[in-house]
Amino acid sequence: MFLINCPYCGERDQSEFSAGGEAHIVRPKQPTELSDDQWAEFLFMRKNIKGVQLERWNHAHGCRKWFNMVRNTSDDKIHAVYKMGEKPPIK
Amino acid sequence: MSKNLRITNSKFIDQTSRISFKFDGKTLYGFKGDTLASALLANDIHLVGRSFKYHRPRGIMTCGSEEPNAIVQLGNDSSMTEPNTRATEIELYEGLEASSQNCWPSVNFDIGAINNFFSPFIPAAFYYKTFMWPASFWEKYEYFIRKSAGLGKSPTKPDKDIYDHKYLHCDVLIIGGGISGIIAAKTAAQNNLNTVLLDDKNNLGGTTLFQNNECFKINNTYSSEWLKKEIESLNSFKNLTIKTRTTLAAYHSYNYLLARENLTDHLSLIEKKDKIRQRLWKIRAKKVIIATGAMERPLIFNNNDRPGVILSSSIKKYIDYYGVKCGQKISLFTNNDTTYETAISLNKSGVTINSVIDIRDKSNSSIVKEAEKLGIKVHWKHTVVNTNGYKRISSIELMKLSDDGAGVVGNKSKEECDCLGISGGWTPRVHLFTQSGGKLKFRDKDNIFLPDKSESEQISIGSCNGDFELDDIIKNSNKSIKEFLNLNSSDYENLEINCSKETDKKNIWLLPSNKPLGKTKPFLDFQNDSTAKDVKLALREGFKSIEHVKRYTTTGMGTDQGKLSNMHALGIIAETAGVKMGELGTTTFRPPYTPLTFGTIVGRNVGEFFDITRRTPIHDWHVEKKAEFENVGQWKRAWYYPINNESMHEAVQREAKAARDSAGILDASTLGKIDIQGSDASEFLNRVYTNAWSKLEIGKCRYGLMLNEDGMVYDDGVTTRLDENHYIMTTTTGGASNVLSKLEDYLQTEWPELDVYLTSVTDNYATVSICGPNSKKILSRVIPDLDLSDKEFSHMSFKNALIDNIKCRVMRISFTGEHSYEINIQSSYGKSLWEKCFEAGKEFNITPYGTETMHLLRAEKGFIITGQDTDGTITPVDLQMDWIISKKKYDFIGKRSLYRSDTIREDRKQLVGLVTDDPKEVLEEGAQIVSEANKKPIEMVGHVTSSYFSPNLNKSIALAVLKNGKKLKGQKMFVPMKNKTINVTITDTVFLDKENKRLNA
Amino acid sequence: MLNYNSPIMDAKNYSGIKISVTESVIKINLRGKNRDFITKIGKELSIIPPTDPNISSGNEKLNILWLGPDEWLLYSNDKIDFKNNNSLEDRLFDQISKVKLGSVTNVTDHWVMINLKGDNVFELLSSGCPFNFNDFKNSKGAVTQTLLNHIDVIIHNKNINDLNLFVRRSFSIHLWSWMNDSARFI
Ligand SMILES: [Zn+2]
Repeated sequence: MFLINCPYCGERDQSEFSAGGEAHIVRPKQPTELSDDQWAEFLFMRKNIKGVQLERWNHAHGCRKWFNMVRNTSDDKIHAVYKMGEKPPIK
Repeated sequence: MSKNLRITNSKFIDQTSRISFKFDGKTLYGFKGDTLASALLANDIHLVGRSFKYHRPRGIMTCGSEEPNAIVQLGNDSSMTEPNTRATEIELYEGLEASSQNCWPSVNFDIGAINNFFSPFIPAAFYYKTFMWPASFWEKYEYFIRKSAGLGKSPTKPDKDIYDHKYLHCDVLIIGGGISGIIAAKTAAQNNLNTVLLDDKNNLGGTTLFQNNECFKINNTYSSEWLKKEIESLNSFKNLTIKTRTTLAAYHSYNYLLARENLTDHLSLIEKKDKIRQRLWKIRAKKVIIATGAMERPLIFNNNDRPGVILSSSIKKYIDYYGVKCGQKISLFTNNDTTYETAISLNKSGVTINSVIDIRDKSNSSIVKEAEKLGIKVHWKHTVVNTNGYKRISSIELMKLSDDGAGVVGNKSKEECDCLGISGGWTPRVHLFTQSGGKLKFRDKDNIFLPDKSESEQISIGSCNGDFELDDIIKNSNKSIKEFLNLNSSDYENLEINCSKETDKKNIWLLPSNKPLGKTKPFLDFQNDSTAKDVKLALREGFKSIEHVKRYTTTGMGTDQGKLSNMHALGIIAETAGVKMGELGTTTFRPPYTPLTFGTIVGRNVGEFFDITRRTPIHDWHVEKKAEFENVGQWKRAWYYPINNESMHEAVQREAKAARDSAGILDASTLGKIDIQGSDASEFLNRVYTNAWSKLEIGKCRYGLMLNEDGMVYDDGVTTRLDENHYIMTTTTGGASNVLSKLEDYLQTEWPELDVYLTSVTDNYATVSICGPNSKKILSRVIPDLDLSDKEFSHMSFKNALIDNIKCRVMRISFTGEHSYEINIQSSYGKSLWEKCFEAGKEFNITPYGTETMHLLRAEKGFIITGQDTDGTITPVDLQMDWIISKKKYDFIGKRSLYRSDTIREDRKQLVGLVTDDPKEVLEEGAQIVSEANKKPIEMVGHVTSSYFSPNLNKSIALAVLKNGKKLKGQKMFVPMKNKTINVTITDTVFLDKENKRLNA
Repeated sequence: MLNYNSPIMDAKNYSGIKISVTESVIKINLRGKNRDFITKIGKELSIIPPTDPNISSGNEKLNILWLGPDEWLLYSNDKIDFKNNNSLEDRLFDQISKVKLGSVTNVTDHWVMINLKGDNVFELLSSGCPFNFNDFKNSKGAVTQTLLNHIDVIIHNKNINDLNLFVRRSFSIHLWSWMNDSARFI
């Protein structure tokens, strides 16, 4: 059970959060202009890294805000959290 | 019982309060403070079980949680009985009943023991190798194996005991109340830290508590006396919480730990009543100090498993703490100094010690000198090569070790004894450290794995960190604690510590015998009956990874996770394979550290609290009317309202007919409701629904279909425009919270530029839905001043109204195809409004109907239910709802996916109607559809999603998804069932009132 | 006539803890992102919605709880007669939502407000709530949204050992009986 530092509310138990998969996958602005392959790239393709990954999380049972997290998927260490629209603080 | 095995000078046993208990049906006596194991030993009972594979007699071997043999069944009531408990951990209470496990018909005469005589034929993985082939025989084999193996009986009735969970947050958590743990707790508490100290025993102090030996002194008093004073001083700290009888079960990342507190297991049957039995503590600690101590190792030699073979330090605890002699003629067998403490204790208590057999050449430490001074005989450089006795050890055979330790030399001598204490050195308890993700390092000097690196805020101190000498324990613990808690000083700086120090060390993982290995039984894992031979066999057969050897031989796979002899298994593997132990690594120690009961894991989430239930504001009315309820997500929804012993079918047919003939009333309060405000609200709806919203007039309602980005139908519902920038959206009952969080996600991440705010108001409103040709008349009586004319209040529009001066919103919308209204009122008035509508509708036989009738009525009209007729693989085109996809909108969620190569395939499964040739035959939902009745292999082309007998059409109707269904209208298909094949015809999805005349009736 | 129905009627007393439901308190959800929103609310109510997390602001009549960077819960201390009083909601709606400063939504019956009083209230909460109350306990006016027995709740630390807990109405009976079951063992 992680202890997650919500960028709005502070440190909370993982049970208050839900995970939302890989971060920084931007919905294309003009989907109609994409080929099937390009659209599939957005829709289906995810990296699923072993190691440091950028992820989306939602403080679902708290402030309901989405934010991003830098997490190492092999040891679960959370290196940083940052708000939506911000650049990852470390890579 | 004739022997007096109890000495009288124990301070920890209350010999004035006698406790009676039963073991294997026999009434025995012990004292308050005893464990079941100590009481049995006091009654001269060593034999307590049979081993798993060979059914060899086994006795109590330890005094703690690492016990592999004394595994007993507790209780005689089939609902209360608990298998696999350790006699060494069960505190004696009045009325306790326990019995041996793993033996039939009795521990003294066990049929399975025949395996023992055949044992040369039961090598490692015998079961796997022999019984796995032919596969078809496995069921038969399994029956016999299970019958003769058996690890206790499960209770047959629900657990009557109460369990609880609790969260705990602290600055410092200390695990283990031995000498290092006490030092840590006091230091942390003195520095105003919110501190918690856990210990799995009933009192603090660990083994130092009964270390009354001249060789171990602190400030010129016995180490035990010094520690007692320290423990007493802990009481003065309000910021220190001490929990005894509390076992740390799991150590997860982020210093999240689970501990099981035993609250009543030690109480008498009467005292236990109505109390919480065990509590699971969910602990979040800023810092963790592990002070879990070390476990004594056994020695691995031929027939080392006989009852009466006990760990040397356990013999010491039984005599010094419980006042129980484990035997009257005891031999000790060791490779280290600690056994001499046992020898001195036994000697002081007047127990005859035959000799100490020590594999080392010599030892010059003060404790050994002290023992020799007392006249205790030591066989240096000797080993035990065999033991005798079946149900109890009767003698040992010893020989001199060769210089290299690999063999034995000289003549064999025999020593009569009734107990053999063994000690193979000490293993730090690093289980919790590794559970938390910590990495271990190997120390060659004494062959131990020690905590190395850790990512968490934690330290290990004392003997779990490899400090075994009293002065090292205190000095190093103190130093580590100060560093860890950032302190400059502590109470433990200038203590005067005198202790014996071990100078000579020697270790042999598998002790040699005068017989070849194949003819001996040196047990490694006592619970799973695996021997050193098995491990060597596994290596010969090519297993190299320690994890594979473990699974192949089952070494370390019992309920004790092989705590006792994992190290020996590793040592033997390393030696045989010719690698260093440090390179071999260890097996993984998984939580829980000791087994947890299911009750503890579940806590109070049983019965009423098994799952969360949500109730509508009108719930009580449905209960009064004896409605049957259906679970929809967490909601309890009225399913149908049986009258006079009606069956479900009868009730639903009656309700469905009444709703179309006159009037029906439905509690629709569970529908999700989202209040939408903001200047971009219309644009937002354009993006989330497939159809267009900008031109919806204020006061009008519109049905919307929501997709996922993959183009599949996600949710649906009616949204009403309350004002220029104000909408109220309804969602399905089950989809409400997911839809809200999905929409919030888009607003926060993809479209932050939109000025839109969402607020859930699902629970704020009760929704009363009235439908049927008389619904208008009924509503006019409930809200007389509302103009209900079609011109003023047409289908798909909404009005604000006041009922008894309470604001409400009335929508004229329909999910049944009938003329109908939904009234939304603040929940506190929901029940009263419902009753008012019911009263007003009495004249028209207004009939309450439940979810089943609602489903039937909408199916007659071919309206879909998302999640029933769709399953995340169905597009709106598949539903033949092309009309709801806006052609003009540039984009909406899922639009692009609607013309991917896969979604435009013609042979996708599409929604169709089905009628059965026999109108009385009702299809089963989920039934498969085939195009040819007798073709094999059968190709399944679709399945039934909704199916009912329609009382209004007097025939069976169904909805189904079918490959290429759109083009197959009018064709015959088949639904094969277990005993028959049902003939069906594909139809349109709308069965009733295709012209929608009833909406305005 | 329409009658008012509360999902929970009775108050219960346990050792060091009293739980009861406070009925007919008006509750309004406020959302807005910019400074004008804050200023307007401040002007209308004479209370500034807190912009720092996990706290509340208020006076003798009203409380504003921080729920998120753009969301607040407003609730009254006094009971309100719904049959004759919707003025607060209407006024705020006109001043905020109508002029596109944010949203104003009546959630009076969306939430049920349960009052917990006594020395053992935090003992009760800790039997089903993963939140760390160690600091919260001593800070008057603190607010948290968390889970209690897996159910979403908002907790307002009104006074020392005197809490208002908000739970969605449909969950309230279940949570109420769970709280009563928990309180037995404290
Ligand atoms: Zn948050």
